[in-house]
Amino acid sequence: MQSHPASYRDTSGFVFKHNGQFYRYIHPNYQVYYTQLINSGLYDELVKNGKLIAHREITETAKFNFTEGRVLLPQQISFISYPYEWSFDMWKDAALLTLQIAMASLKKEMILKDATPFNVQFVNGKPLFIDTLSFENYVQGKSWVAYHQFTECFLAPLLLMHYCHPDTAKLFTVYPNGIPMDVLVSLLPKRSKWNINTLLHVHLQAKFSGKQKQKPAGENNFSKQKMGLLLKGLESFVQKLSPKKVKTTWDDYYTGTILGDDYLAAKTALVESFINDIAFKTVIDLGANDGHFSLLFGNDIAVIATDADHNSINDLYRKIKATGRANILPLINNLTTPSPAIGWNNTERESIAVRLKADLVLALALVHHLAIANNVPLGLIADWLQPMGEYLIIEFVPKSDEKVKLLLQNRKDIFDDYTFENFKFIFAQKYKLIKEEKVGNTNRVLFLMKRNA
Amino acid sequence: MHFFFVYIDPGSGSYILQMIIAAVLGVSFFFKNFWLAIKAFFLGKKTKKENDKDTVE
Repeated sequence: MQSHPASYRDTSGFVFKHNGQFYRYIHPNYQVYYTQLINSGLYDELVKNGKLIAHREITETAKFNFTEGRVLLPQQISFISYPYEWSFDMWKDAALLTLQIAMASLKKEMILKDATPFNVQFVNGKPLFIDTLSFENYVQGKSWVAYHQFTECFLAPLLLMHYCHPDTAKLFTVYPNGIPMDVLVSLLPKRSKWNINTLLHVHLQAKFSGKQKQKPAGENNFSKQKMGLLLKGLESFVQKLSPKKVKTTWDDYYTGTILGDDYLAAKTALVESFINDIAFKTVIDLGANDGHFSLLFGNDIAVIATDADHNSINDLYRKIKATGRANILPLINNLTTPSPAIGWNNTERESIAVRLKADLVLALALVHHLAIANNVPLGLIADWLQPMGEYLIIEFVPKSDEKVKLLLQNRKDIFDDYTFENFKFIFAQKYKLIKEEKVGNTNRVLFLMKRNA
Repeated sequence: MHFFFVYIDPGSGSYILQMIIAAVLGVSFFFKNFWLAIKAFFLGKKTKKENDKDTVE
């Protein structure tokens, strides 16, 4: 059985795909910890509290050709997101979940042996720990084996977003195994030393890191109480962190002067009438901003709302948490530099282009940003959208529009092909036009299209 | 010099660090609890008095 490309590190087992479903193989060397996880009641407690992924043990393993070990069928996750696509609050909730699981484990004489955000996925609006093989027995006197990993993988991105800029967490794309302490220290402002937690967990650690050449004798006096204090201390530290406030172009986008209430109401009515005519289960909302259109869909429709703007996505995540609209997954994704395929052999973490598929794609007030602000020819935009989904609701914003005029005011107009006729001609080669309506009293036009079979 | 460090796990030294952090946190939690106890002692008395007043009235 071929293991998943992201599942090569841990010798305790691996994830594999069989007939379209993901399974988890447990190696005999992990059996004792797995039994402890189940028998101690930790598994039941964490699953009941919605913190750990649920699974079913598969008794008929002959079809997988394993001669030994165990096979689990975990709850299937429809969309895998990566930490560099999360906003501040998502990072924070994932970090808190990891610490809470570590504390719950300690109470049951177990520990969390790794602390990477890749072990967390957002399912039904909440973070969920997906690695069932991250638990080991607690050994009296040993310090937390995943402490260093926690600081580089969770604290580092959170502190960068707290002290520098919310977008700096993207550095995690370059350092997916953790942002090194010396890199972190070089970026944090000097005043960060005045925070006792940052001083201890970061500045002091940067001094210590890699300096201990030989293990000194007696490294077994770290009591359980101390580990509890460490975890509790980290939890209250993370709890207090907030993203640095930055003003972006996209704050209050819809309350701006030209794009007022009438336009938004007209567009909303059109989108609602378009979606009544088609059958779909999944939606991608590209350039979702505050999620106005993502929120139109019912709770039975899975919506992935992406935007390049951190604040929009963080506000949307907060809104979803507060209102319980768990069918929406907000993600940061800059369409001009989308998440690449990274990690070992470029296969460990898939690009977002591979992952992002749905029945319906919304591209509202988007094309002019791609075509005018980023010089992407309309043909390439159609090529990119077509594999993403069967149906497409797309808005064309002509050159006569005030927002496009704004985009063109400081540059030469080299966009002769950017016309309504050419837009229709290019998309007609890949899609069948179902509907075409003017948005209110603007020159913008909304289309509903179906991909050619 | 730099290559030398490649062979040392950056997580090494973490034991001593965790010892220091746990000690600092232990002390700070002690004082926090101490402070909360003092606060509870005085505020607790105050609320009791208020309650007494209510019952008298």
